[in-house]
Amino acid sequence: MSSQASETVLTVRGLGWKLNGQSILSDIEFSLAKGQMLGIIGPNGAGKSSLLRCLYRFIKPTSGEIHLFGQPISVLSAKAFAQQIAVVLQDTPHHFEMTTSQLVNLGLTPHKSAFEFTNADDRDVVAQALIKVGLADKANQAYESLSGGEKQRALIARAIVQRPQLLILDEPTNHLDIRYQIQTLELLHTLNITVITSIHDLNLASALCDELLLLDNGRCLAKGTPKTVLTEQRIGEVFDVCCEVKPHPQHGNPLISYFYGYEPGSKSHHGLDAGGNNV
Amino acid sequence: MSNSLSAIAQTKWQQSYQLLLIISLLLIAVVTPFAATSYGAASISANDVLQVFSHKILGLGENQGVTERIIWELRLPRVILAFIAGAGLSIAGSVLQTVTRNPLADPYLFGISSGASFGAVVVLTLFSQSILWLSLPLGAFIGASLSVLMVLGLCGRNLSTQVERMLLSGVAISFMFGAMASLLLYFSSPQAAASVLFWSLGSFAKASWTGLILPAIIVSICTLVILLFKRQIIAMRAGDETAHTLGINVGRLRLSMLLLCSLITAILVANCGGIGFIGLMVPHTVRLLFPGRYPLLLTAAIGGLFMVWVDVLARTLLSYQELPVGIITAVMGSIFFLFILGSRSAKRT
Repeated sequence: MSSQASETVLTVRGLGWKLNGQSILSDIEFSLAKGQMLGIIGPNGAGKSSLLRCLYRFIKPTSGEIHLFGQPISVLSAKAFAQQIAVVLQDTPHHFEMTTSQLVNLGLTPHKSAFEFTNADDRDVVAQALIKVGLADKANQAYESLSGGEKQRALIARAIVQRPQLLILDEPTNHLDIRYQIQTLELLHTLNITVITSIHDLNLASALCDELLLLDNGRCLAKGTPKTVLTEQRIGEVFDVCCEVKPHPQHGNPLISYFYGYEPGSKSHHGLDAGGNNV
Repeated sequence: MSNSLSAIAQTKWQQSYQLLLIISLLLIAVVTPFAATSYGAASISANDVLQVFSHKILGLGENQGVTERIIWELRLPRVILAFIAGAGLSIAGSVLQTVTRNPLADPYLFGISSGASFGAVVVLTLFSQSILWLSLPLGAFIGASLSVLMVLGLCGRNLSTQVERMLLSGVAISFMFGAMASLLLYFSSPQAAASVLFWSLGSFAKASWTGLILPAIIVSICTLVILLFKRQIIAMRAGDETAHTLGINVGRLRLSMLLLCSLITAILVANCGGIGFIGLMVPHTVRLLFPGRYPLLLTAAIGGLFMVWVDVLARTLLSYQELPVGIITAVMGSIFFLFILGSRSAKRT
């Protein structure tokens, strides 16, 4: 995917956000080339969701600039913005009485004016998206009745219908078992669009993201390929864990193994034997 | 595979079931104007009703005299006003429940009815009787608008984000206007108190052709605007943040829908008094009948027809006098409310 990296989709410069005088994000800088998948990683409370919310304009940054294809995102109308950026969030409200295809149909919203109704072409677009995520047979089922992984794929189908240039996801693998985690991220790869996703599982991020951005306390600590970002020392420091990083036997990206029972602050497993006991 | 087959079978069954529902609704809609005008204090046969309609609309037959006046001047405007009120309150309830994501939201949410009552009380107790025909609806409308503006003012810029705050402000404003109306009534004549009471219980008895114009225009225009924003309203069900990412200006949409619904409610309260629970009962019933769908026009139609028949009930239940419609809807509504609560707690266990 990185071979077609040419056009810059998103540029973020000096981004900062303060809430009640307290700095939540500061000096975030990065850019993203077309077709790339960027994973935002970092401990709880590092500012991952806040950064994403700035990107999809749900919160207004206190400083810095965000450009989409060279244009400041603040000048775009709500509709024009939603035509270019689709977002998949973690939760939907309770009592969400919709069928799967109705949910996916919502993705058409930014492309429709007040006088336009859903036509045969739209139904086709929705059906194609459902086929793409493998939910064609669940089209008329209640969204609430789907499993966690199916729900996530339905939301991604909605994003596909939105025909975005950039897809932003907030922890898409949360609450999913490992099969659905892999399935969801692989699905994102097949879509061939630029993706930014926050993600907790570092091994999954390492395996499936082109680039990673490591956040801690609202600051960007590292940005680059999984190999450059995921070092033993950095993971140890940021997450306060003891780990070992080796190349993955399949793809060669970092594979992180965590060790238990170490002295807090030692951040090294060299004092442990193979069984994890202190020696 | 069997799973998908059963899903398809289920849809087929659902489709024919919904088609059947719609056909029976259409039948009811066709019969209602004739049937509803034949019921009342003076018994008029269905045949007479048909003759009056054919004379008035098609120019056939002869003038039916008193019968024609009763049907054309008294009962038909009343039936139409009941339909407009039921349709307007139902669509307002349905939209409010969606944009506030509160299944128990009602068009009277912002203390609209108590604001309107207060306006009516002011007119009835402080102004002379001679201008009453004009100023009671006007006073009620001003009171209703005032309560909406106060709720909006209290919520200020948080309106788009804090639905709970808005609901609570509505409750507070409602109590305040209720207290002020009670105070005025306490110092007023028993006559004024009685007429305020009768008005606040809700009735279509004062319906006339000229009185229909304003409610009809306002309810139709508001409904049309709501229909144009149907896609956005549906998207609001997915939550504020998701709606935002779908290109919807959430705060602005919610505010404009609240104002439209308030306008519908205020004009109806001003003309027919306080008729509660319709905006709660009808959208919920439609949701039960058409699960997963959001048929706004159908909600309006069902609400309108329902209201017409409740009014028929109000006219015929007691042989010697009319019952206020508001009392009948309140009885039905409270039972319905308990039914929703019951089915919800049953679902949870």
